[in-house]
Amino acid sequence: MATLEIKNLTVSVKEKQILKDLNLTIDSSETIALLGPNGNGKSTLLQTIMGNPNYVVESGEILLDGKDILSLEADERSKLGLFLGMQNPSEVPGVNNVDFLKASLNAHREKPISLFEFYRLLDNAYKETHIPFEMSNRNLNEGFSGGEKKKNEILQMLLLNPKFAMLDEIDSGLDVDAIQVVASVIKKEQEENHRGFLIVSHYARLYDLINVDRAVVLVNGKVVTEGGRELIKKIDTEGYEWLRHELGIEFEKEETMSSVSIGTCATKEALKAK
Amino acid sequence: MSEKIVLNHEEKDLELLDIKDLEISLKEDSFLRLRILNINSKENIKITAEVGSNSKIEVIYADFSDNDSNLDVKMDLVGEGAYVDWKLTTLTHHENKKVFDVSFNHLKPNTISYMDNYGVSKDKSSIVFSGCNHIFEHCYKSETKQNAKIIVFDEEASGVASPILKIDENDVKASHGAVVGQLNNDHMFYLMSRGLSQNEAKQLITLGYLKPISVHFSEENQNKIIDAIRWLS
Repeated sequence: MATLEIKNLTVSVKEKQILKDLNLTIDSSETIALLGPNGNGKSTLLQTIMGNPNYVVESGEILLDGKDILSLEADERSKLGLFLGMQNPSEVPGVNNVDFLKASLNAHREKPISLFEFYRLLDNAYKETHIPFEMSNRNLNEGFSGGEKKKNEILQMLLLNPKFAMLDEIDSGLDVDAIQVVASVIKKEQEENHRGFLIVSHYARLYDLINVDRAVVLVNGKVVTEGGRELIKKIDTEGYEWLRHELGIEFEKEETMSSVSIGTCATKEALKAK
Repeated sequence: MSEKIVLNHEEKDLELLDIKDLEISLKEDSFLRLRILNINSKENIKITAEVGSNSKIEVIYADFSDNDSNLDVKMDLVGEGAYVDWKLTTLTHHENKKVFDVSFNHLKPNTISYMDNYGVSKDKSSIVFSGCNHIFEHCYKSETKQNAKIIVFDEEASGVASPILKIDENDVKASHGAVVGQLNNDHMFYLMSRGLSQNEAKQLITLGYLKPISVHFSEENQNKIIDAIRWLS
């Protein structure tokens, strides 16, 4: 079993502090539901763990089995067993899906995979995620629908077999059937391979379909409360307002927007306000 | 010494490796498809063409040579209905400097020219796409499109794309666009988060960007292109 420890982590993006002194420890055998209002640091935490250079760690540590991984590039973290299913997977022009999958599999192995073994793995992964195999020959995420991109992330997770899989809003953009498929893959991985998950979702639906060991709520870049399924249920029905009076938490990031008159671009105004 | 290609009421499809100067003349109702691959050519190259009425020239130009180079292309659309379709892809590395000066002159009505120039510059190398598409007066119903895109891979590499249009007639369609940009950081992070090293990720992106030109060539030359991309990147 592996352990991922996040200690006193402070992270900023474009000189704005998003995570503030955050602490969280995860075992590779447990699944954590990561909750919190938009803009409070969920994606930032996942991107930082994976090593996205846009996220600047000001202080703190991230330890994988006691070893500090902050100095490692994303590829080395991947090889140590971390995986991030992205919220908005990039469309990479001209890069063939199969070439990419083969290159990533080989990056995780000492010897290059045989063609036979590769296609066997690929075929299984495509079947399990219910993606038509013909799509393997398309360019990486290019022209994929939102749902196809998300399923392609799950497919990569299956192939790379990570210790910890972080999934960032993997269920957004998925129709009901596709959520079932993704949930059944996650459940199978939990039960058969004891894989650890850190899952961000805004909907109780996905959490209802899989095992969840802990629910963790992030507000203002910190863990403010933890619980079990009852916490997910409460947030699903009541939202986050109760945090204010029950736990005395003030949201630093208010979603305010100044009034906009017809004739001005609302998006531009919103950007100015930030 | 330059090679001469003259067609009249004919069609031809040629695949050429490491060319020298070319002088092309399409008289009438002719079609020429030229697939050019430069891997070892070292000289400055000059291509001139006259495209006559109802004639079309299609050029697929792949340059993967490891040296400085100057390509000078002048095509005159001298007959009504003349058509030029130009596609170029290049890769530069080390301290190589490559200049591609490609110009099309529309001298008659109802003439069309399309230009697509793509490049990747690495290390300390540089790519320049220059040239001018000119639609002369009275050449109504003509159309020209210029498209240039360069990805600058490394800090000391450079790219300049300056497509110019000169239009002396009102009743025409013309557009041009140029993009010089760096490697997309989101793409790099995405690939690296799957275990690919920085170099592997760059190589895959380069291959993805440059490989599409290879489908126009014979299998033998396709392999040469892919080898060149692998070796250079």
